[in-house]
Amino acid sequence: MITIMVVTMIVLLLLGFPMMIPLITASIIGFVMTFNGFGQMETLIQQLMAGIRPASLIAVPMFILAADIMTRGQSAERLINMVMTFIGHIRGGLAVSTAASCTLFGAVSGSTQATVVAVGSPLRPRMLKAGYSDAFSLALIINASDIAFLIPPSIGMIIYGVISGTSIGELFIAGIGPGLLILAMFSVYCVIYAIVKDVPTEPKASWSERFVAVRQALWPLGFPVIIVGGIYGGIFSPTEAAAACVLYAIILEFGVFRALNARDIFAIAKSTGLITAVVFILVAVGNSFSWIISFAQVPEILLNAIGIADMGPNGVLITIAIAFFIGCMFVDPIVVILVLVPIFSPVVESTGLDPVLVGTMITLQVAIGSATPPFGCDIFTAIAIFKRPYLDVIKGTPPFILMLMVAAGLLVAFPEIALFLRDLAFR
Amino acid sequence: DTWRYAHEEYQGDVQDVYAQAFKKYIENNSDHNVQVYRFGELGESNDIMEQTQNGILQFVDQSPGFTGALIPSAQIFFIPYLLPTDEQTVLKFFDESKAINEMFPKLYAEHGLELLKMFPEGEMVVTADEPIHSPADFNNKKIRVMTNPLLSETYRAFGATPTPLPWGEVYGALQTGILDGQENPIFWIESGGLYEVSPNLTFTGHGWFTTAVMANQDFYNDLSDNDKQLVQDASEAAYSHTMEHIQGLAERSLEKIQQASDEVTVTRLTDKEIEAFKERAPQVEEKFLEMTGDNGKKLLKQFKQDLKNVEQQ
Amino acid sequence: MTEDESEIHYTSGLPGILGTLDTLISKVEAVILALGVLLMALNTVANVVGRFAIGESIFFSGEINRILIIMITFAGIGYAARHGRHIRMSAVYDALPATGRKILMVTISLFTAAIMFFLLYYACFYIVDLYGKGRVLPALGFPIFWIYLWVPVGFLITGIQYLLTAIKNLTSRDVYISTGVLDSYDDTETEV
Ligand code: NA
Ligand code: NA
Repeated sequence: MITIMVVTMIVLLLLGFPMMIPLITASIIGFVMTFNGFGQMETLIQQLMAGIRPASLIAVPMFILAADIMTRGQSAERLINMVMTFIGHIRGGLAVSTAASCTLFGAVSGSTQATVVAVGSPLRPRMLKAGYSDAFSLALIINASDIAFLIPPSIGMIIYGVISGTSIGELFIAGIGPGLLILAMFSVYCVIYAIVKDVPTEPKASWSERFVAVRQALWPLGFPVIIVGGIYGGIFSPTEAAAACVLYAIILEFGVFRALNARDIFAIAKSTGLITAVVFILVAVGNSFSWIISFAQVPEILLNAIGIADMGPNGVLITIAIAFFIGCMFVDPIVVILVLVPIFSPVVESTGLDPVLVGTMITLQVAIGSATPPFGCDIFTAIAIFKRPYLDVIKGTPPFILMLMVAAGLLVAFPEIALFLRDLAFR
Repeated sequence: DTWRYAHEEYQGDVQDVYAQAFKKYIENNSDHNVQVYRFGELGESNDIMEQTQNGILQFVDQSPGFTGALIPSAQIFFIPYLLPTDEQTVLKFFDESKAINEMFPKLYAEHGLELLKMFPEGEMVVTADEPIHSPADFNNKKIRVMTNPLLSETYRAFGATPTPLPWGEVYGALQTGILDGQENPIFWIESGGLYEVSPNLTFTGHGWFTTAVMANQDFYNDLSDNDKQLVQDASEAAYSHTMEHIQGLAERSLEKIQQASDEVTVTRLTDKEIEAFKERAPQVEEKFLEMTGDNGKKLLKQFKQDLKNVEQQ
Repeated sequence: MTEDESEIHYTSGLPGILGTLDTLISKVEAVILALGVLLMALNTVANVVGRFAIGESIFFSGEINRILIIMITFAGIGYAARHGRHIRMSAVYDALPATGRKILMVTISLFTAAIMFFLLYYACFYIVDLYGKGRVLPALGFPIFWIYLWVPVGFLITGIQYLLTAIKNLTSRDVYISTGVLDSYDDTETEV
């Protein structure tokens, strides 16, 4: 059954069908084969609806809307100008700041898709203007956003912690090391890229220019205050912070800067709605797909077939990494965690692996999988937001995925990357 | 053949203990196999309920709090201080109550469900940023509740600000201070690590987290008499096993929590302190009657009668 | 923002009264999308304000957002189909000669339309099923099937759009990826 589903999916995908069709057709096939006919199709519809039900998804349209208002108005431009007066003269400076912004924003918002939107929409045009290729810019934005999974708060870690009975506090601390390691790897790559491709730098800004730029950006600096201060200060949940940004953006662009009018807001909201719809319909059909895979016990059957029980600790850890990586290429990360963690937990226990290390590895794989073709949800978001064809969006990703895999390898070889801070804080 | 059974908790939690015992009994005593699905594998609580009603699943475990959207009277368990705090009395009540064993099966049957067993999982414990001693301590505290109007009414009556939030967001919200507290049975507070971010535990004694195991009724009715008996026996066996498991579970969980964290405080309300909360229960009861009409009225009356009978013994 | 222009000046390719109706539906979809998003922001902000200003969360705030997200998604898929905005991977397709692309596009459109009508049928089925079960929204208290009524409508409009795209491709010389959007190389933006 799984073979037929996957083959159908890939053929339809390659032929250029709208991406919801390969996923939903594969799910329909799964339902028909599992239930011998069309008798249980209402569950397929039920699970479509369940896919777009989680309240945390609301953060996505909210950040899209806020980012779009900021980008079409003046806020984003002013913020970036300020940053550029400080780093414009450094080789690769813009790319490194983009990666760092994605990490910071993602860490706070907890949503990789929201990060792609909120950081990517203002910074991508700027990177293009500075001379970076589009493939590089898109891949950087998508992959750097995924560091969000590793830096607390992380929804994936919370769910893993609850299912496996692992301390969420320890997981949070353990994610920081690998998260920063990846950011460092990306930054090095950015600088090398800028040198090799000879991306031009801007002339160094004088302090008076910097002062003017900071003054220009005073109002828009309220956005990081709302997001970082609001969430860590306990005023907003990530979704609420996004909505507050929308409100603040409207006040700024309409009231203070007078850069936009009511007609603009309608157009922006409509475009947000459209992007939300084309991404969420894929989340919805992806959920039906996950359901039938889970119902038919596909992961359990596959894992028993490869003999997971007879592997040593490192073998188990690597198998876990591969299983989550593959799973997240096709299915929503949260669902992958819910389905796979209970299957793996007996072997993890018997091999004596540190559950915090396992959790960190899983979170890392979830991050990689979300940016990996064919069905990584960040890719969809980037396609919808930046209006680029699928292949253009994924063209630059291989070096980043390679770096992430190296990071995973390092984590197997040197668990201290994750556990050092944890031991410092808890042991 | 394979019977499919879904519940709404994680590995090793009370509903899982019941399900695994049920599975073991069936598989040891017949040729049937039981496949257990845990939380999220086939969707949320309401999804697995619909799937059971549609016959994709044969068995489901759903807490009456969630069933409230389908059967409003099932929210009776949210009326505070209706059930006593003494574990033995509560267990006896569930064994002997006419409301539980005769009235509830009829209510579920109207929705195509055969009620097999209804049982308490554990006493509700409040965790907050400060110990709670009186309704005044609840003032301006944002307490997370399940999305259930009657439960919200309870916390409003206690003086808190009930804040409905999906389970996945609770830990983060407690950590950042969007929430000041939440309520759950102690084993959930332990397994979910909630004490790490909300370390002050208060045993308010206001209620028990209750759950119900049911079968799809068409499936059940089509079973042979032998298999019907098998299912009933398996339910009983799983029930006794689970009751053994929950005896002392609260103490064990609390011990684990206290070993893991030095910050944790434990407050057990005195009888006098409880009085102050109890005084506020009638307004919740009124709301319950308002929401459920005649059905609720009859159920509540029987409930109280059964309790009296148990307590008099 | 060229595609915004094309969306604003969208006129249906259908003749006569059907065309007028189609253009009207397109405008209604745009309004639903925009309003849905703005209401969602308003509802979410109001919840925060309520919690801090009067110490009371809006109990049904989450359910309102759930209704809005279904509305946005299912009004949006029809709108996206009309304007050729659904996400697809067009590498193999792009490599084909014009005739090949035309044949493939007709196949894609017909198959997609068929799947949409299939989902339409079962979405209706699901709603009837929910109606029978009588489940209510816990906070708002009204029957839950109401919030899903958008779903079959969305599938219907999307299915019709793909059907029309197939007809358009069969009856004209050029290759269309939606009723209003021509498939062309000089403007890659329309391909997504
Ligand atoms: Na994060
Ligand atoms: Na994915």
